[in-house]
Amino acid sequence: MSLPFPLLAVSAGSAALVTFLLYMVGVFVLAALSNRLMQSKSFLSEYFLGSRGLGVWAFALTFAATAASGGSFTGFPSKIYTHGWILALWIGSYMVVPLCGLGFMGKRINQVARISGAITVPDVIRDRFRSPAFAGLTVALIVFFISVNLIAQFKSGALILKTLLADVPQFTEPAAWFGQVTANWSFLAGVDPQYTLCLLTFGIAVVVYTTYGGFHAVVWTDVMQGVVMVCGVLLMVPLTLWAVGGLPNATAVVAQQTPPQRGTATLKLDPLTTDFEIAKGDWVHALRVDEDELNRTGRLKVVELEVYRILDSVFVAAGTPKTPPAEAGVELDPNSPDMLPGWWAKDVPVLKITSPDDKVRAFDGHLEQTDDGLFLAGFPERSPSGGEFVASAAVVSFVAAHDPVKPGSYVTGPGYKAGSDIGFLPLSLAISFFFMWAISGSGQPHYWVRLMAFKDAKTLRRSILMVACYYTLIYLPLVIIFVCARVLLPGMEAESDRIMPAMAVFLTQNAGVAWLAGLLVAAPFAAVMSTVDSVLLVISSALVRDVYQRNVNPDASEKRIKWMTYVVTLAVGFGAMLGALNPPRFLQDIIVYTGSGLASCFLAPMIYGLYWPRVNKAGAMAGMLAGFAAHLSMYVAGIWVNDSFFEAYKPYDLDPVLVGLFTSFVTVPVVSLLTPAPPVDLVRRYFCRKVEQGV
Amino acid sequence: MPDTPSPASPLDDDHEWDPTFLNCRREALTALGIWFLALSWTVPFCYLNGYPGENFDPENLSTVFGIPSWTFWGVVVPWLVCDVVTVWFCFFYMRDDHLGAAPEDAADAEGGA
Repeated sequence: MSLPFPLLAVSAGSAALVTFLLYMVGVFVLAALSNRLMQSKSFLSEYFLGSRGLGVWAFALTFAATAASGGSFTGFPSKIYTHGWILALWIGSYMVVPLCGLGFMGKRINQVARISGAITVPDVIRDRFRSPAFAGLTVALIVFFISVNLIAQFKSGALILKTLLADVPQFTEPAAWFGQVTANWSFLAGVDPQYTLCLLTFGIAVVVYTTYGGFHAVVWTDVMQGVVMVCGVLLMVPLTLWAVGGLPNATAVVAQQTPPQRGTATLKLDPLTTDFEIAKGDWVHALRVDEDELNRTGRLKVVELEVYRILDSVFVAAGTPKTPPAEAGVELDPNSPDMLPGWWAKDVPVLKITSPDDKVRAFDGHLEQTDDGLFLAGFPERSPSGGEFVASAAVVSFVAAHDPVKPGSYVTGPGYKAGSDIGFLPLSLAISFFFMWAISGSGQPHYWVRLMAFKDAKTLRRSILMVACYYTLIYLPLVIIFVCARVLLPGMEAESDRIMPAMAVFLTQNAGVAWLAGLLVAAPFAAVMSTVDSVLLVISSALVRDVYQRNVNPDASEKRIKWMTYVVTLAVGFGAMLGALNPPRFLQDIIVYTGSGLASCFLAPMIYGLYWPRVNKAGAMAGMLAGFAAHLSMYVAGIWVNDSFFEAYKPYDLDPVLVGLFTSFVTVPVVSLLTPAPPVDLVRRYFCRKVEQGV
Repeated sequence: MPDTPSPASPLDDDHEWDPTFLNCRREALTALGIWFLALSWTVPFCYLNGYPGENFDPENLSTVFGIPSWTFWGVVVPWLVCDVVTVWFCFFYMRDDHLGAAPEDAADAEGGA
């Protein structure tokens, strides 16, 4: 029987590709509509600020979607899966992020931007403090931090797309062809062709629709992306709870789970008559059965079972000389039956599954637990977590990289973290994260641009509530879904960044609606796109508006500004994309560094500027520089203390952003009070109004 | 343009504080207070009830609707309470201040400063 709609007939993997293509069509339609809207309005104000006319839906969802970067659907689920229920506390301050991010300064920054006519953040700074030099400093810091962030976000987007399409032949085959075509291109040497193809697809799409449609295109696509995200999450909740047999059951199982051990396993391989290959994510085992039971009943009663997941692919060419056990680092009796003549030994990094229930689930129904014991009914071809079972290799020894952990670490704090004595979230870090998400999160210039764009106070009020509901519907369910994923998909620590698409495919196949996987896996790339497009506009607006129009050519015609804007946005976008072709390592660290650096620089000067009439440009500039220096110094100190710039020094385990914020918030009032007060007319412009006579 | 010292207050017979500024500041302080209350409840509660140390027995894990009790009372309930507080903040506390007209051409607004 043929299905009436082609999409319903595609596999879960292909559904990701189909959804992505449909999604991109929608994005470009919105960009075209947005471009038409620009024809009738002031170009710069419309292109960078949507003419300050955003309503509730557009404003709330663009704010929420911009804040929810790709990390919300890749890094966050991965952390939940890896550390368990403690992530509820880690993300807990999102309960007040809408109030802090929107209610804290939304109305006031919107008012100040209207008073000054500002359409960018440096605009606000320049006019509020009446200082072109301060605006120049702001532009320099924004371009520095956000450009670095943009490169990291491009890489993140490409990696997400690659992950989503990893099993889709319609993608892997062109990627292989692309790899052959570009094999001799020196600047692509060593770059994975699948990654490159995803980067080009993702990057060109985002840069083109952002450049063509401007702010409204970004906002409208954010709305679409926001709806996709929340629908994806809300669909996953019932599918997950159904698959896991209810949340109480899942938590009871997770409470008994122990973290898998990383280490090195020595495999014995079948005699090598052909090339031997095991892929990353495949499964191997060490098994001992009851011989008496086997002889008596023919049943395979399992006496001992260890299950391992391969962390790095293995390839041994046919005819490779046999490695004696001693050279493989294994203390084995040469006469041991484990080392039969003709077998090869090979050391491989693996993940040892330590929870009995996880071992059973990894065997995908081929192990049966009865009152008489555990019986093996054969080997599955694949595990539900992905990866094939390799029957021609078995583990003969295992050396763990760390000690085993008692059950309970997934349901209590501070949560398990391999190799750490203090765990995942000690008290000091729990406090730091409450500051980071709610307070320093409200200090991001690309959020402020949105705060300058809503229509009126009523829009803001309703939007705060809408964002609050949105975050409640996203983040708490994500914690529930991916705690349950621990039960459904064992061993995903081996590739935890793939847990979102893996869960999407598992849940939809389990429920018999494989085509739905496309919608679920659309959420991550929707999230990263909505962040990239916003960040891109912040950089191009800083360069066009604040550098070119206000300093280089104030008399430029609107037509010239328009073309300048298109060219700069394209150039910045493609420049960042080229930077991501050979991206820096430490992706997540770079995103954390730039986000906390922006807050350290900008939050205190902006808050004082909005709410304290006595602040002056000397105090605000000093605060910005002091915040930058204090934050940077923690990272530089990390080079000496922890041997890495990205392993920042943390006094009393407090995050560098707290040091930066504290320094900045103290410096601004101290320097302001030591220097002359701001001009009275400037204070009156932003803080006073004329007394209405005769009232 | 150099700053000129201002011994005088910006307030005089002709000028008063802008009520939008005053409302914004009051609302900002309230939002900050709500954040502090959330921090004061959530982190200490979770730490005191959800960090049992080495002697934890998973058999004795207390849950509410399948959620560990410390997570439920320390994160989920305050999260929902914050949503209710947000309703109060948005519909009973925050003022519909006039924010000013949107300048048609922003470039002209400050005359290049």
